Order: sequence, then C-alpha cells, then structure tokens
Amino acid sequence: MSVNGQLLTVGVDVGSSAVKTAVVRMPASADDEILALRTDRIRRRDLRKVIDEAYPLVLSEAGIDADQVAYAASTGEGELVDFRRGHFYGMTTHARGAVFLEPRARAVLDVGALHARAMRIDARSKVLGYRMTSQCASGSGQFLENVARYLGVSLEEVGSLSCSARSPEQVSSICAVLAETDVINMVSRGIATADILKGIHQSMAGRYVKLLRAIGAGEEHVLITGGLAADTGLANAMREAAEKGGLGMTIHTHPDSIYAGALGAALWGGFRHRVLAGRAAKVTREAS
Amino acid sequence: MSTELAQLLERVRALFEDVDFTAVREWKAEGADRKAVGHMPIYVPRELIHASGMLPVGVLGGGDRLEIIRGDAYFQSYICHIPRSTIEMALTGRLDALDGMLFPSICDVIRNLSGMWRLLFPDRYVRYVDVPQNFSPDVGGAFWRQELEQLLDDFAGLSGRAADQEALRRSIAVYNENRREIGALYEARSHEPWVYPASELYLVVRAGNVLPPEEHTELVRSYRQLAAAEDRHEQDLSRVVVVGTFCEQPPLGLLLTLERAGCSIVDDDLLLGQRWLTDDVSEVGDPIEALATAYLECSCQTASVYQPEGRRGAWLVESVRRNQAEGVIFCAPSFCDPALLEQPMLVDALAAAGIPHTQFKYAENTGQFAAIREQAGTFSDSIRLWSDA
Repeated sequence: MSVNGQLLTVGVDVGSSAVKTAVVRMPASADDEILALRTDRIRRRDLRKVIDEAYPLVLSEAGIDADQVAYAASTGEGELVDFRRGHFYGMTTHARGAVFLEPRARAVLDVGALHARAMRIDARSKVLGYRMTSQCASGSGQFLENVARYLGVSLEEVGSLSCSARSPEQVSSICAVLAETDVINMVSRGIATADILKGIHQSMAGRYVKLLRAIGAGEEHVLITGGLAADTGLANAMREAAEKGGLGMTIHTHPDSIYAGALGAALWGGFRHRVLAGRAAKVTREAS
Repeated sequence: MSTELAQLLERVRALFEDVDFTAVREWKAEGADRKAVGHMPIYVPRELIHASGMLPVGVLGGGDRLEIIRGDAYFQSYICHIPRSTIEMALTGRLDALDGMLFPSICDVIRNLSGMWRLLFPDRYVRYVDVPQNFSPDVGGAFWRQELEQLLDDFAGLSGRAADQEALRRSIAVYNENRREIGALYEARSHEPWVYPASELYLVVRAGNVLPPEEHTELVRSYRQLAAAEDRHEQDLSRVVVVGTFCEQPPLGLLLTLERAGCSIVDDDLLLGQRWLTDDVSEVGDPIEALATAYLECSCQTASVYQPEGRRGAWLVESVRRNQAEGVIFCAPSFCDPALLEQPMLVDALAAAGIPHTQFKYAENTGQFAAIREQAGTFSDSIRLWSDA
C-alpha cells in the first residue's frame, strides 16, 4: 500500500457521458506522477459495469495490482464505485486536478456534459468561490454534441473547424432550444459549418466569461477542465471573449484537462491516506 | 449482500412505503377484539397502550409517497408538511385501522391538529398528551402521574381491558428491551458507520412504528447481526450528527443524498420517540411512578421540551464528542418552529466548541436533492481536507 512513503492512488470520475479513471504515484518527497489515464464512454451501458470493467484495465495500464492501491476515490456520480474508500465532491477534485496540471491556475472553468462551473481557487487548490450555469443546457457539452450531430461532424473535428471560421454567425446565448433552431436555420441558409461552430463557441464563451467575472477572476491563470477542455475552438473563443471583455486572464488548456476530476480525486485520496495513517500512528503511540 | 439481509431490508422498505398501514390491519385481523392506537412523533408512553392489549402505531406523515389533495385545504402555506399528509391519510381512510389517536405536545400545529381530529372524527378516541415542561418531581412529576393514570383509564375504556400492575411491568420490560436493542444498533453504527448505513438503519428502526415491539426488537437484533456479517469495507467519510429531524421525517432520498455526498451519519434525532428514554424504566415497584420518574430523569433533550439555557447546546456538543463526529448538519423541516427557533442557540454552542456545521431545510415530500447534495458534499470535503489546515 505504501512503500518507502510512496503511494499509489486511483481516482474515478463518473460523469454523465463518460467515466474517467486516473492512477497516480505519490512519492513522499518528489513530484506526483500520472501512471495511467483512461476514458470509457458510457453509451447507454450499465454504469456499474462500465466502472467495474474500467478499473482492472486502468490498473493493468499502470502496471499495478489492486492490492497495491492505497486509496481509491470517486467523484461525480460516484456512488456506484463499490471499491472506493472515499468520495470527494466534483468541485473539490477539479480544483485539485487543475493545480496539479497547471500550478499557476487560480481559477478553473469546468465544462462538463450537463453544466459549466467557474471556481476561484488558491495555491493549495482550496475553492474560494464559484458560480454555475443554470439548469439550461446551452452552456454544456451535451448541447455542443447535439449541434455537431446536426452538422454531421465528429466532436474531434469541432475545434479545428471552429478555428478556421472566417465569418462567425451569431446564435442565441440564452436557450439551447432556440440555439438549436438557430443552427437549423443557418444550415438551411447555407452558412458554412465552420462559421456556425465558431458562433456556437462564441456564444458559450460569452457565458463562461460572465461566470469567471462573477467569481472575481481578473488577471489570473484560468485552466479549462472537463469534457470540453480538449476543444481548441472553445479555448480560442474564450481567449477572444476575455480580451474583448477587458479581462487580463490567461486561458490555459492541458492535454489531460478532461482528467482533472479523476486526478484530483486520486490526489486527495493520497492526502487523506496520509492524514488517516498519521492519526492511526498517533493512537498507537499514545497507547504504547 | 446475504439473502437474509436483502429480505429483511425488503420487508422494512415495504413497511416504510405502505401508507395504508397494512401491517396494522393484518395485526388487528388476527383477533376480533384487537385495537390499535396511533400517535404522532416524539414521546408518548407506549407502554400503557401495550399493557392495555392494544398496538401502538407511530403516524409519521405520508412522506413523499402520498399526493396531497385535501390536506392543503386545512393549513396555511406557512405551516409544515406533516399535518397536511396526516389529515390527507385520515380523510382518505388510510388511518381507519386506528381506534384512537394521541397528539403529544410537540408544537402549536400538532395541538391544533388534535382539535381538528376531534371535529373530523367525533366517534374516535382523541387525546392531546401534554407532557410536562417542568421537571421537578413535585410539580411536573405529579402532573405527569395524573396524566398517565388518566391515559390508562382511557385505554381501559377503549380496549375493554384494564391493565393491572403486572401487565404494566411486562410492557415496561418489553419497551426497555426494544430501546436497548435500538441503542445497541446506534452504538454499533457510531463505531462502524459504513456497516450500518443511515438509509438502512432508519428503515429498520422506523418499522417499530407499525410492528408489535417484541417483533421489532427481534428485527433490530437480526439486522445488527446480519449487517455485521456482511463484507462492507471501511470508508473514509465525514462523520456528522444530523439535528432537527425529530418530528416531520426527511424523505429517504435525503438520507441517501447525504451518504452519497460523503457524509456518514453517526448520530441523529430521527424517530426520537422510539429512543426518548435514555435509560431503562424500573421494572419493579409502582409502574406509573416508574414511568413518571423515567420521563423526569431520563428524557433525551430536544427542541419541543423546555430546557434551561445552554443545556441543549451542551447536549449536542456532547453527542459530537461521544460519537467522534467532525461536524453537524442542521436539517430541519421548513416552517418547523421548534427546530428552527433553537438553531441559533445550538449554532452558538457549536461555534464556541469549534465544531463545523451547515444547515438546510426540507419537507417530507422534497424530491429534488441537487442543492442539498452540493452543500453536503462541499461541507464533507471542507471537514476532511481543510479542518486541520
């Protein structure tokens, strides 16, 4: 479980469209290290089965056995993670994962399939304040996925197409239903796919910048996490929107941003393991 | 999960979901002269009902399993939910199995409900049970002895069977054993909360509101043994005490939400009436005197009973310490005067003791838990990750 103070921990982030899993090595006196990362799309399968199948696979990719894991933690909709030792709230884990991936980050924008959340954090990844989008889906990954399907493009193509837009078309920033109607109208008017996608990204970016402004983010480094963090078109639109809004923030993405929740859960798991081990040792010392 | 435990949990779940009191109807059907007496939450001397040959039945509202159609017409919008669903159950015939109804002094709303009962059901036995607020033997004790004797007379008239002293002592012993078994379960849960999740424990204890006490005692004992035999691994969750749930019960989904948010409930004031007396009632001597003395000396402390300033806060802090809890969740029904009015004093006591806390409100039919989950989740994380920082 703990060899020479070195811990192996696992984080499982159960989202609404995918299960993300991370295996982390946490040495006592060196930087923490990612051993394996894995994404499993749920695709209407039994969620518990997806989780249970993903766990041995990610351990195998990390080259470790289950009995070497010091702490397995869940986050998101994690109650189906039967092998977990602890559960952490999504905001807490994304904050921790963000600081791990981008140590300068003092604000995080977590864009998931069903909601977006902006958090202001400190250097220890403690959440100082946050704002979420409302129940409307127009700021979510699911919305973007629907639009991509209408346009007949894969999610992987969305970012590069958006970046190539020449004349972005404005869409509703208020309502997903209206925005989808806008998209259908644009297609029938012959608007280029790239321009439609850029318009969508601009609309979403405008909402996210408002969220960041609401939490008091100014000249911070902001890391985008969650499922849409890999969307380069969205990150570009965010940078443009921040500049247009006079905010001096620096928007970052990271290749592992979508694993921020799972990484944060694994890292907090290691922290808790050490706290609990310390308490147990103290009890033993006092008893002897 | 073992088949035995799964079956036991299935049974208590069915009892919980049944707002038609089928278990009570079945008990009554076993004998032509069997009668049942209902009572609202918190304390009534169930020993007297039992000794008179009747079944005490806890009426805890309709929860989230009953649509309120007529009940809303009887109460203003700023009144809690339990009287609405109780009236609804009565007007729809669901409480017809009850031959009498007791309304302990919880608050004005429950007192008014007893008045409505008299008007709506003039042919049924109804009594407002005014428990003493003065704990001096000469004042509150004398008053409570009179009340107990009056209740015993009433029950003799209702059941046609006067309980003698021996019958009373036997019933006292039956309920002593029931409370001891529930107490043992609570203690076991405090040590290993992951073995006895609140969402299971609650249903097991709650079953005692519709089952004969002897049967319930066996049920609680079986659950404790079966759950202990399960291979449930230790979980790293925040140990919390839940306060404010003594009358209108939270929906089961709320308890599940707290657990899913990373909280382990290690103590609570759910179903408080079944654990009201913190020690055994004497099984020798005058049983009425024994019950009166137990109320004065062994009552637990809650918002509906007057306490000199500071004692209730000290009681809560002591519960936190005894159960090694890391925080307190104030979880009170909306518009519950007793729970909400005492909260500022309890908050002061916790603040003085350096104990973290959070608070939210519910109704028995609350169906959306997203906001509660977020609040409980962040509270749990703040305890585990930042309390030592």
